[in-house]
Amino acid sequence: MATALAAPVDTTIEDPTRRPPLVTGDHDYQSITDTIHSISEHKTPRAWYIAFAVSSTATVTFFLLIGYLIYQGVGVWGNNNPVFWGWPIVNFVFWVGIGHAGTLISAILFLFRQNWRTSVNRFAEAMTIFAVVCAGIFPGIHVGRVWFAYWLAPYPATRLDMWPNFRSPLLWDVFAVSTYATVSLLFWYMGMIPDLATFRDRSKSKIKQFVYGVFALGWNGSARHWHRYEKAYMLLAALATPLVLSVHTVVSFDFAVAQLPGWHATIFPPYFVAGAVFSGFAMVITLMVPARKWFGLKDLVTLRHLENMCKVILATGSMVGFAYAIEFFIAWYGGNPYEGFAFINRAFGPYAWAYWTMVSCNVIAPQFFWIKKVRTTPWMMFIICIFVNIGMWFERFVITVTSLSRDFLPSSWAYFKPTPIDMAMFACSFGLFFTLFLLFCRYLPIVAMAEVKSVMPVPESEAKNDTKA
Amino acid sequence: MSKTWYRSLRELENTAEFQEMLHREFPEAASEFPKGLSRRRWLQIMGSSLALAGVSGCRFEAETLAPFATRPANRIPGKTQQFNTTVEIAGQARALRATSYDGRPIKLDGNPDHLSSGGASDSYTQATILDLYDPDRGQTPIESTGGSKFNRSWIEADTFLTEQFSQFAGSKGDGLCVLAESTSSPTAQRLKTALQDKFPQMKWFDYSSLSPVNSRGGATLAFGKPVRTEYDLESAAVVVTIDSDLLGQHPEGLRNARSFSRGRNPDSEQMTRLYAVECEFTGTAVAADHRVALRPSQIAGFLASVEQALASDEETHAADESAPWSQQVFAALVDDLKKHPGQSVITVGERQPVEVHALAHRLNQKLGNVGKTVTLLPDESSADTFDEFVTHAEANGGSMLLLLGGNPVYDSPADVEVAELMEKFENRVHFAVYPNETSAVCNWYLPMSHPLECWSDATLYDGTYGVAQPLIEPLFESRSQIEFLAGLLGEETDGLELVRQTARELYPELKSTREWERVVHNGFHADSTAKPITPELQNFEGPAASTEWQNPVEVTNGELEVVFTTDSSVLDGRFANNAWLQELPHPLTKMTWSNAAIMSPKTADALGVKDDDVVRLELDGREIELPVYVQPGQATGSVAVAIGYGRTHAGLVGGDVEEGVAPVGVNAGVIRTAGNRYFATGLKVSPTGRREELAVTQDHYAIDKVGLEEIHGRVGDLVREGTLDEYREHPEFAEHRVHHPPLESLWTEVSYDGHAWGMAIDLNKCIGCNACVVACQSENNVPVVGPDQVRASREMHWMKVDRYFTGDTEEPEVATQPVTCQHCENAPCEQVCPVAATVHSNEGLNDMAYNRCIGTRYCGNNCPYKVRRFNFLDYRSEMEAANRELMNLVLNPEVTVRSRGVMEKCTYCVQRIQNTRIEAKNERRPIGPNEIQTACQQVCASEAIVFGDLNNPESDVAKAHADARAYGLLAELNVKPRTKYLARIRNPHPWLAPPVESAHGHGGDGHGEEAHGEHAHADERHDAEVSHNSVPAPTQELREEQV
Amino acid sequence: MRFNFPTWTNRFVPVLIVTILGGAAYVGAVVFAATDPQTLNIGHKPTQPVPFSHKTHAGRLKMDCRYCHNTVDKAAFAAIPPTATCSNCHTGADANGSVSVSAVHSDSPNLALVRQSQATGEPIDWMKVHDLPDYVYFDHSAHVNSGVSCVSCHGRVDRMDVVEQVKTLSMTFCLDCHRNPDPHLRPLEHVTDLAWVPDEEPEVIGGRIREELNINPRTNCSTCHR
Repeated sequence: MATALAAPVDTTIEDPTRRPPLVTGDHDYQSITDTIHSISEHKTPRAWYIAFAVSSTATVTFFLLIGYLIYQGVGVWGNNNPVFWGWPIVNFVFWVGIGHAGTLISAILFLFRQNWRTSVNRFAEAMTIFAVVCAGIFPGIHVGRVWFAYWLAPYPATRLDMWPNFRSPLLWDVFAVSTYATVSLLFWYMGMIPDLATFRDRSKSKIKQFVYGVFALGWNGSARHWHRYEKAYMLLAALATPLVLSVHTVVSFDFAVAQLPGWHATIFPPYFVAGAVFSGFAMVITLMVPARKWFGLKDLVTLRHLENMCKVILATGSMVGFAYAIEFFIAWYGGNPYEGFAFINRAFGPYAWAYWTMVSCNVIAPQFFWIKKVRTTPWMMFIICIFVNIGMWFERFVITVTSLSRDFLPSSWAYFKPTPIDMAMFACSFGLFFTLFLLFCRYLPIVAMAEVKSVMPVPESEAKNDTKA
Repeated sequence: MSKTWYRSLRELENTAEFQEMLHREFPEAASEFPKGLSRRRWLQIMGSSLALAGVSGCRFEAETLAPFATRPANRIPGKTQQFNTTVEIAGQARALRATSYDGRPIKLDGNPDHLSSGGASDSYTQATILDLYDPDRGQTPIESTGGSKFNRSWIEADTFLTEQFSQFAGSKGDGLCVLAESTSSPTAQRLKTALQDKFPQMKWFDYSSLSPVNSRGGATLAFGKPVRTEYDLESAAVVVTIDSDLLGQHPEGLRNARSFSRGRNPDSEQMTRLYAVECEFTGTAVAADHRVALRPSQIAGFLASVEQALASDEETHAADESAPWSQQVFAALVDDLKKHPGQSVITVGERQPVEVHALAHRLNQKLGNVGKTVTLLPDESSADTFDEFVTHAEANGGSMLLLLGGNPVYDSPADVEVAELMEKFENRVHFAVYPNETSAVCNWYLPMSHPLECWSDATLYDGTYGVAQPLIEPLFESRSQIEFLAGLLGEETDGLELVRQTARELYPELKSTREWERVVHNGFHADSTAKPITPELQNFEGPAASTEWQNPVEVTNGELEVVFTTDSSVLDGRFANNAWLQELPHPLTKMTWSNAAIMSPKTADALGVKDDDVVRLELDGREIELPVYVQPGQATGSVAVAIGYGRTHAGLVGGDVEEGVAPVGVNAGVIRTAGNRYFATGLKVSPTGRREELAVTQDHYAIDKVGLEEIHGRVGDLVREGTLDEYREHPEFAEHRVHHPPLESLWTEVSYDGHAWGMAIDLNKCIGCNACVVACQSENNVPVVGPDQVRASREMHWMKVDRYFTGDTEEPEVATQPVTCQHCENAPCEQVCPVAATVHSNEGLNDMAYNRCIGTRYCGNNCPYKVRRFNFLDYRSEMEAANRELMNLVLNPEVTVRSRGVMEKCTYCVQRIQNTRIEAKNERRPIGPNEIQTACQQVCASEAIVFGDLNNPESDVAKAHADARAYGLLAELNVKPRTKYLARIRNPHPWLAPPVESAHGHGGDGHGEEAHGEHAHADERHDAEVSHNSVPAPTQELREEQV
Repeated sequence: MRFNFPTWTNRFVPVLIVTILGGAAYVGAVVFAATDPQTLNIGHKPTQPVPFSHKTHAGRLKMDCRYCHNTVDKAAFAAIPPTATCSNCHTGADANGSVSVSAVHSDSPNLALVRQSQATGEPIDWMKVHDLPDYVYFDHSAHVNSGVSCVSCHGRVDRMDVVEQVKTLSMTFCLDCHRNPDPHLRPLEHVTDLAWVPDEEPEVIGGRIREELNINPRTNCSTCHR
């Protein structure tokens, strides 16, 4: 059957009158399904095995290190007095931040009817889940007596009606992150059902058929199914939207509620959320650019998609930059000498190197996205996004470590040095992330086929028929 | 969880082994110990009985209780008992009070009934208890023959000795030579004389690396006989310390500190003024109003010049502003001495040569201080005769050298090859508490009992006769010195009898058992205190007056002066194996676990070295290598090195090359010759290019410019100081130094109408001596973490003594500030703990429930004082190797032992509060106003710390909080600290007082409006500025140049 | 070929739901019951090396608790009596075989260990029955002197041949009383009288005693945890 756009088009035109298509190339429903399914259908490429070998090794190391940590004690990290929170918390916030793009794309953009989300949302949501998994691990193993971590759960301990301290932001964190994880997972899975059904129907092996079948929950594409599916999806989206804002707001409370100079700032919630979306999108692009190349998704994930995301990055990046500026302004305008010093110390103290890395990566790098060329050249945006990822890790490092290392009494000031364990654990957490991701790419529909089809440009022939009728 | 230790220890209390150990009838029965068992093995037995508690039944933990067969009289299991005793440390007798728990001493404190301490004590006393349980102490006699060592029993040892001494009996002791560590014990003296009578040919020499040769010599020069000096610093108007740590290392340091701090009362019409002229920064100088840093060689000249100036009748004038500091102070000093005849004290430290000591005596005479502020007492102690020993040994040698205590091989002058000298004796027997470097070159080592294990006696500094009673039967196969000596005489060897006999001879009134028991109970014989004497001042040639001191020194490498200091942690090395002391931060350098080449910033710059650079110190041919520590206030052109480090046979803590444990620090004795025991010129310093990070608890790294300026800005607000005039004009100046908006809480404030525990620390009295830190460690089972963890800034001390330098880098002022949990009423830590492990009690205590803590460390982050300590690792296992369980006996059963992963902090000694409360309740009486003492308060010689119930107007703490000088540290955060600090008042000579406008300008706005926040924050900075005029810039300045 | 849930699977849906919910509830209940102090603490009844019967001594002979546990009102620990205390009555034969007139059961085999201990000075290893966690600091004197009877925590020991734990002695147990002590307070003279029954409402008596001794128990963490 004739397809929409045999001829390649520039999808990045800025002309409101002519909506560029969201799917290019010689595609029809059939071919899209083929493209996506083939990824998991075809024989597994060697590259995948190599990548998986590497990442899974890292993952194993990660868990070994955790074992060592629990056996030896938190002392294997560089944490000290005054820097009681070191890398583990930095990593936690870093990963949670990344886990933001997914839900934002799927939920908020969905509610705003941003159709271009369809090709990237599945991918982003998956990333979210995996990032949150990594994030969840760090605060868990971070406590001194892991075996008692369950005391954080809100239950009346020891028949005593002894509850956790609900005034503590750490407790809010427990709720926020777990809720977020649950809803994102649900959302992701829900959206995947029709595609799982497709996989079920197309896969050859009995096992696959069964497994996909079970997870497809007996989807048969009937109008009724579709109707309910849409409703549910809509509801979940509505439910997930506030979470996007709440999670990182709460995470920011861990710092903002403390009275430590450099933490105690009202701007933290919006600033953290912006930063999270910022880093989230950066990570999506970091993963998407190579993925779309390897899996031949250029037609589904068009330059326009990437460009849109770059725009989001540019916007949020600027917000973050603005937040940095405001922090300094308030530190001066607020007139609190300790606050004032905390920021002077950030910029010019022993950790200046970290601070300026952060600024150049987070504030300067994304500004290149003003240039259309950069916005539309995958490898360029890839590089910039790598910078953003680095920058956002340093942002958390700067906030956590520099503020702690020098607070009120000069006598307690000290310099924080990470240990090899610190570094190894951070590195290996990427292993876990990518292991999950590789499995996802291999066995699950990495693009929401059903949704993409719904936004495909309608073939002229059919359009004509419509006009006739 | 290491927690189970103390409870299992309590079980241990009652296990058969332990009871047997504690209650063996005769000391001799030490040989009941399992024969031929190595220490390791024996301690494993100990260990197993410790682990006893862990035997778990199928459902319930099976714990056994083993009560006494017959309970000792008035022993109540689980209740502490107190005993007075006397312990001699390095020849200095101390009247102490020991706390014993179920028959094992767990804490030592000063004996409140004796003036020498009034209940206070120093870090050495506090830490001595740890030595008692040190498994590295000698446990059995050891014979080394043919290069290998054999554990022997005392029976074998005795056989050897009797055989030897039977020969001496024939030869009248010819060939027998005794080198005894100087002791003040009358019984030891008595037995010595007895021995000399029995063996007339015997040679006996006394030796101690710390014997006060110079002060003795000085007194002899001045009065023709040795005298001891006591000072009444309370009523003195002017105190001048010449290279002397009068309030610290001085034998009467505690007493001096107390009377001095009482004289420092800014509310009295006359506040003592202290001048310190010295080389290395001493604890005393922390309290000084004016300090001059001079090289030790210049100090004699300085004092001579003082005498000159005093002699001349011409009016003294203030030196002009531009003149070198030393001259300005000199003028003021002379002026003060002239103005206050009979009200001054001039004291000289042991380091200075005899002439200087004599001169000081002469000056005190001339100024009419003697009999008023200065009291002279007879000095009965025996002179140090080490030199004679050397000559004797070189000439004659002999068949047996008997060393009673001491460690000459390690601590004798470098140019005396003691080891070789000892070779001149066929048999070398070392009888000491620890096997050490000296034992290593002896063919017999015999274990001596710890002072807390045996009967003995001693003469206190003021001549009082003190009795030492055993707190516990010897833990190892050891004997007390007097029992050993008596054994040599072939006499009755019951320690008690030996001491009683001496007592009877010295003080007939003690014949009556009742009197004797009273003395034992009190710990000393009150009526025996020496009567003051007024010896005739002799004519002698004092040191020549010189002008050398007047002008700043040019640093010329090779012409430097090296100063040997007795270390505030390991003393002369005898405490090298004491982990508490090794980890105790030096009062000024904050250095732990090592010594260093300490030099002033200027010197360091001139030599082109900086902190942690390892340098080679060369002094006529001898050399050592150790890292540099840059210390403001060290006399320019001089390098201070602490002795007592680099022990090679100290033990598993202090270093034991045989066990493969590296020595801690570097042995400065290597360049310390007989000629220059205290200081020497001609030192050459050359960098080796290596670096070695010192384990320092404050200023963990060379500070950068930004941080430096900030400290500069803050110190004045943290440690609030003012001059006496400023204080008299505006008593509330401290309160007003920091201005802040009105402090309002988001929540309705809690009211405390029952007890309200609080603390006050008087910065005007604190001299940063550190005793509180160790006392706290001993009372609260604070673990030791070791140098690496200290470098990682994870030290666990619940109490830290912050020190800040201010002013010129070469002539700085220093401010110390003990900081511990402030028990904030709005405690930031409590808000953020997710499991409510730290919450507030209705008496205002910031409770810490260790068993609820999961270690999120959020509280630590949110604590503005950073006084919370986290168990990052299992520090007990870290420091306690498999065979060191014995150490656990030192733990205080009243305090939970914290496990790994748990946050801990100061509790205001809550265990003491609770026990007193229960006691009072049982006796149906209210708790007395000052009944409860925290451990830190108890040891404080200068009475800087007071604790009690703020709601009780009678209590000292309530009064202190009401004092005009009281202010809360970081109170502007509205955390409402329960600990308040009393601002420090300096009492400068008018000529040297800081520019007036600072005081006025400041006091002015403080006075004008009550500081209830009418001031914008903006002028808080301005305010700080002002305060800095009186508190000049801190001195890491120089580091900044290095950075 | 599409896999789909055959219709017969529908039947299992309710079953599934029930099992999941029911299972969860069951596991929860078990865990709760298993970790309850009632389960964990009560009923500890070790056999003692010497078959000492409180029933006989405290019950039948009406001996006061403090005859043996004489430190209970002076110290934190109600010390286990030294062998000497037993020997006050149960003296064995002395060196030359003569037995004092007052001696009770001087040759009973049950008391062999006592006599041996007395002779050798070796302690008797009694089994600990009431064992609080190591981080709890309980003080007997504070309670006994405030009119809290032994029976409140140890039950009717005077009816036990072999002592066993009858109260949970859990933190809740302590706090219940610390929050509302009245029902557990009694005149000091009856503190060791385990059989004592108040002639009026315990709360009333307790309230009065609380008044006169001004007893206000604390519930701060540091009251028991240091």
